Amino acid sequence: MDALTVSHLEKRYPSFHLRDVSFRVQPGRIMGFIGRNGAGKTTTLKSILNLVHPDGGAVQFFGLDMPAHEFAIKQRTACIFGAANYYPQSALKTIAAVYRRFYPTWDEPLYQSYLQRFGLDPNKKIRQLSQGMSIKFALTLALSHHAELLILDEPTSGLDPVSRDELLHIFEDIVDREGASIFFSTHITSDLDKNADDITYIQNGQIIASGEKDAFVASYRKVEGRSEDLPPALKERIIGLHERKGEFSGLLRAADAAGANGLAVTPADLESIMVCTERG
Amino acid sequence: MLNLLYKEWKLAVHPTGYIFLSMGAMLLIPNYPYAVVFFYQTLGIFFTFMNGGATNDVFFTTLLPVRKRDVVQARLFTVIALEVLQILLAVPFAVLRCQISPTQNLAGMDANAALFGLVLVMFGVFNVVFLPLFYRSGYKTGTPYLLAVLAMTVVVVAAEAVIQLTPALKQTLDTTAYHPLQMAVLAAGVLLYAVLNLAAYRLSARSFERLDL
Repeated sequence: MDALTVSHLEKRYPSFHLRDVSFRVQPGRIMGFIGRNGAGKTTTLKSILNLVHPDGGAVQFFGLDMPAHEFAIKQRTACIFGAANYYPQSALKTIAAVYRRFYPTWDEPLYQSYLQRFGLDPNKKIRQLSQGMSIKFALTLALSHHAELLILDEPTSGLDPVSRDELLHIFEDIVDREGASIFFSTHITSDLDKNADDITYIQNGQIIASGEKDAFVASYRKVEGRSEDLPPALKERIIGLHERKGEFSGLLRAADAAGANGLAVTPADLESIMVCTERG
Repeated sequence: MLNLLYKEWKLAVHPTGYIFLSMGAMLLIPNYPYAVVFFYQTLGIFFTFMNGGATNDVFFTTLLPVRKRDVVQARLFTVIALEVLQILLAVPFAVLRCQISPTQNLAGMDANAALFGLVLVMFGVFNVVFLPLFYRSGYKTGTPYLLAVLAMTVVVVAAEAVIQLTPALKQTLDTTAYHPLQMAVLAAGVLLYAVLNLAAYRLSARSFERLDL
């Protein structure tokens, strides 16, 4: 059974339209949710969690309908929207004392171990934490109740490279050890290159790809070379063509790459796919 | 629900909510519009809601495994607790006021059971205006508070006026001596308070459920 199934989700705002959003997060897998700023990532996450009301579509967690089973679903899920930007005057231990009461599966030794691992002092107040430390505290809460699905909005932005790496290892650990699933939005695509199993890509309120990351990445090639060597037929097929000083770079679908004789064709990564796709 | 109430008192209630509980002592002032004593607590409630904006209270709470209507219910229970506690803490001062200075309050109703009945209605009117208007946005507190205070003031001034201008009511309700009618006013106050709070809950929950956060 899927950890999360989203079918034909619609949400219409005066200046933005989430259109026919469908994807599924399978158990024991990490799915990255990518798209540029304003593409609809947070709106999608909020619609899934019933924080905003979708105009259409269906959302199921663990086979249970949202919002009918909202209460049970939220107990089995952990959500983070950025840093712990709440109750700045309260101590971490006070917030944890409140938070833990809502989760029957709260694991105090695990919570303590994350505090230690992240170097968080429970007596400190939220306002005394840096942005990075505040994200770590939000994560500590989310990770300490054995959630079966973690929904994280930009969990790694604001963290230093070492902390990001540490966090990605924790994600892998949770998935491997507990069989949990992780669905996280990010614009730091290199994080996903490292450990995502699947990718969902949203552009201007529409899902343009959702599936296995390796297959998705393998379906593109980076191509570059001298502009004069680029045949016009191939030029039309290049996604996000950039030309300067007689040189060009861009992206090709793997099927089109065969016609790129004499040009430098290299494997694509998520960042080049995203940048070139958005460039158009 | 207990968990949400725990959250309210541990994280959300503004310190002024506790401080204004002691305002009941103002019933010892010989001549004073006693309804004003209870108005202070609406400020304490207002600060709790306003502070919620600064502390991202709604956001933190709605991500917890709770239903939106439970969030409204917990907040309303907290408001009711702050109001009822203030009244309960004021009772000894009302008794003391009548004991040490049985002279009439020249600035409004005397501190008797009828006053508490009137105050309950006043709080009920405040709640039924303030909470549903607040939960339309989840963060705007200024206009809802102004309108709630306005509605509350109209009700209190009208009630005072009727009592002062009707000799039969003035003799029975505006006095430090006990009269059974005062208890009837108190009972009516309790009943109206319950009805208004129920309406406040229904209207607020409906607004909040519809709200896109």
